[in-house]
Amino acid sequence: MTAHRAQWKGHLKVGELSCAVGLYTAASTSERISFHMLNVKTGNRLKREFIDSDTEEVVEHDSQVKGFDTGNGDYVMIDPEEVAAVVPDADKMLQAEAFIPHEKVDDIYFDKPYYLVPTNDEDQDAFASIRDAVVKTKATAIARTVLFRRVRTVLIRPHGRGLIATMLNFDYEVRSSKEAFKNVAKVKVEGEMLDLARHIIETKKGEFDPAKTDDRYETALAALVKAKSEGKTLPKPKPIKVSKPNDLLNALRESAGMDKGSSKKPKAANANSKKKAASTAKKPKAGAKTAHKKAS
Amino acid sequence: MPASRPYWRGYLKLSLVTCPVAMTPATSESEKVRFHTLNEKTGNRVVSQYVDSVTGKPVSDEQEAKGYERGENDYVILTDEDLEAVELETVRTIDIEKFVSRESIDWIYLDTPFYLTANEKIGDEAFAVIRDAMKAQDMVGVSRVVLGRRERVVMLEARDQGIVVWTLRFGDEVRPESEYFTGIEKKGDAKGISALETIIKKKMADWSPEMASDPVQESLIKLIADKKKAKKRSGKTKSKASKSDDQHESNVVNIMDALKKSVAKELKARKAG
Repeated sequence: MTAHRAQWKGHLKVGELSCAVGLYTAASTSERISFHMLNVKTGNRLKREFIDSDTEEVVEHDSQVKGFDTGNGDYVMIDPEEVAAVVPDADKMLQAEAFIPHEKVDDIYFDKPYYLVPTNDEDQDAFASIRDAVVKTKATAIARTVLFRRVRTVLIRPHGRGLIATMLNFDYEVRSSKEAFKNVAKVKVEGEMLDLARHIIETKKGEFDPAKTDDRYETALAALVKAKSEGKTLPKPKPIKVSKPNDLLNALRESAGMDKGSSKKPKAANANSKKKAASTAKKPKAGAKTAHKKAS
Repeated sequence: MPASRPYWRGYLKLSLVTCPVAMTPATSESEKVRFHTLNEKTGNRVVSQYVDSVTGKPVSDEQEAKGYERGENDYVILTDEDLEAVELETVRTIDIEKFVSRESIDWIYLDTPFYLTANEKIGDEAFAVIRDAMKAQDMVGVSRVVLGRRERVVMLEARDQGIVVWTLRFGDEVRPESEYFTGIEKKGDAKGISALETIIKKKMADWSPEMASDPVQESLIKLIADKKKAKKRSGKTKSKASKSDDQHESNVVNIMDALKKSVAKELKARKAG
């Protein structure tokens, strides 16, 4: 099917129908710019060393073992085999345990997505039938299996001709939004304020293609490095004016009016704009490329 | 779950309306049972420290600096203050430039969620106006913000009393689906589909967080608790060391067996249910 290497191979099962499938990484994270850590006094590079927190002596790799915190900074050593033993045997089966209406899914739990693809020619029909049935019922399947040495839950939904399995974060890893927002002041917004804000949103409605976005940080940083190495004073960030409560209505009125002629407005951070900063700042010198490497 | 410290503080802007906001991660590993590295000889934790690569001496925090490698062994030192001066307004401000329907942004682009709230009383009303207007229009906002030395494209969605900020993956971070999906059968078998529809409808359920529970973590917590008890016990009966060691070992084996069985049972129960 594909030249890529599967992260996991097993079976997808709905009711009694099953088909051989593979999970393939659908998204990767591009590396951020990293710096090298230096000693200000000597200008030398820094390196990491692993030391005993109590004796402060260097601990060689051979003496490093795994352990758990039992509370109060008390640790117990644990044999990796004992840990492995609590993971149930992998049955290599993604069985749909339940289906959730597509619009009821809580995306806050989403971790990484994987392409779910049939791995046998004989199973093409079964795979396509499952996919089409999920499309027709507007459902998302919930399945659990041992993935990356943990029992994990994935959400399975159709995507083009294939399926996507999104791994979920565990329940205890997700903070409740109700809890996180409980201290937000209860302000009732109505009347002209709400109408104006809605109007502003209406004027800013547009098309957005997440595939066509770029990261301007690297270029901006290169410009900063250049300025600093030429001994120029770096620009101080401009103070930001916050709208005061009694000016809020005016600010909204002005925004709503101003945005009618929005073509004259300079674009600041339009997510789909071309590399604005790139045209004003020179490309970093060839040597600067090495700065992408991780600091050791 | 404990409230986390703001990960980012800055401003939320819609046209001429600006308010101070704070952002915290929506996910946290704080409750996950995690391994630590220990020194086998002392049982103490192993921690990492920076040393000068030439002199081998430990370096204090104040002596540490970030160096941007301009050329081979040629660094420009950048302080945190310098980095603040990067000429991108997105370092401090989430300026909502555009609004789109939620459905127009595919799930595959969602990377990491954050919770955004007003950070000072002065911004409470402005924050509420932006949030409620997005809700009323049933739209999500699109903007950018610098997080962790990358300028991320973000999606803003009103939720409860706050706003969820999702960092979005860049186009080149999502692998082209055609490389995986081309060649998959276009149409399923009609009879098969209708049979599957019946099964799916029967198994329709509401989402609940327990669906994302972690049975292995539950077992790990038990394992650690048992280890702790065993450690205490062996400490108390030091004089009869050899005897208690034997006992301890056999105990551990039994516990392991029991745990394995209970996890297997639980999984079965889940599948059956």
